[in-house]
Amino acid sequence: MLSGDVEAYRLLVERYRSEFARYAQAAVGDADAAQDAMQEAFIRAFDALETCREPDRFGAWFFRILTNQCRNVVARRRARVPLDDVDVAGADRADASLERGELAEALDAALARLTPEQREAFVMKHVEGRSYEEMASLLGVGVDALKMRVHRARDAMRAMMGAMR
Amino acid sequence: MTGADGFSREAQRYLDGEPAGELEPGERAVAERLVAEARAYGVRLRPMPAALDDAVMEAVRRRAPAGARGPVPWLLAPRTVRVRPIWFPVLAAAAALVLWLAPRRPAPVPSVAVAAAGVPDTVFVHFELAAPRARSVSVAGSFNGWRTDALAMTRGPGGVWSVTAPLAVGEHHYDFVVDGTHWVPDPTAHRQVDDGFGGRNSVIVVGPKGLVRS
Repeated sequence: MLSGDVEAYRLLVERYRSEFARYAQAAVGDADAAQDAMQEAFIRAFDALETCREPDRFGAWFFRILTNQCRNVVARRRARVPLDDVDVAGADRADASLERGELAEALDAALARLTPEQREAFVMKHVEGRSYEEMASLLGVGVDALKMRVHRARDAMRAMMGAMR
Repeated sequence: MTGADGFSREAQRYLDGEPAGELEPGERAVAERLVAEARAYGVRLRPMPAALDDAVMEAVRRRAPAGARGPVPWLLAPRTVRVRPIWFPVLAAAAALVLWLAPRRPAPVPSVAVAAAGVPDTVFVHFELAAPRARSVSVAGSFNGWRTDALAMTRGPGGVWSVTAPLAVGEHHYDFVVDGTHWVPDPTAHRQVDDGFGGRNSVIVVGPKGLVRS
């Protein structure tokens, strides 16, 4: 190895792979695709380290790269699978009939129908349980704008997931 | 999208954890269930395998320029508050921890939101150990699973080995590992603790404002 400094990058990879794993999976809706997005994001981040202007906020900087990678994956998946073919839990399905696995699928399907911004915001707020302040720090977006995204996402989720009514 | 399919303003405030008026019981139940199911969905997501780290590192090693100390310029040209190493009588080794937070270039003016919440999430700590007779030196600690080969130090002039590690805010335990076998606590550490195996671990505390006690 040329340098321990390169190896030090592993510390960042270990840390943020763990921290953002759930986000990536929920944002993409597929574990394998999320791993691909995560791996590609780390490699891109490494290539772009010189442009990281706030090294002490590497996490937030990397998160934005990851977010873009996840969006790319989602866009490719959308292109392959028309949304009309995605099985959102229908209104004809009773609440009690939804098993856990089915609920996850239903949530995945409903998330897939949100806009990328709404999906990110909903996942961070309700799947990861982050505060609006944390979300603002990671995304570089104001709290008010994030609240609007989350509100719209909730409305859309409620409308789509008839099973939750 | 509020209306028949959307939540009322009060429900949105309730879901945001803000003071809200009385909610209609049916809407409250729907709101709480949506949040509960989203949380349950998150709990069911699996951790990503550590093998991903190996794949990333394999890729970035191929990208590291030959002969260079590393591709991380802000790790290599730090503005440091340097602490003079303390020399060990036996190992002829010394250790120092140096912290810096200043970015290499002026930081851009952040947005209001980022400035308000833009606390550091990563602190770069420079480890040094003067060990002229050593064949290899690494840092093993709670931040890298105590792996002796995970954070190798680079030998510099005068036999001073060094490496920079990006650490999370919090308390970390570590030791230097000389020649793969000798575990050496940092004599400059403000605190050392029993490692449970008859030795001592050094303690470093990284604060949210970059304060380090070592």
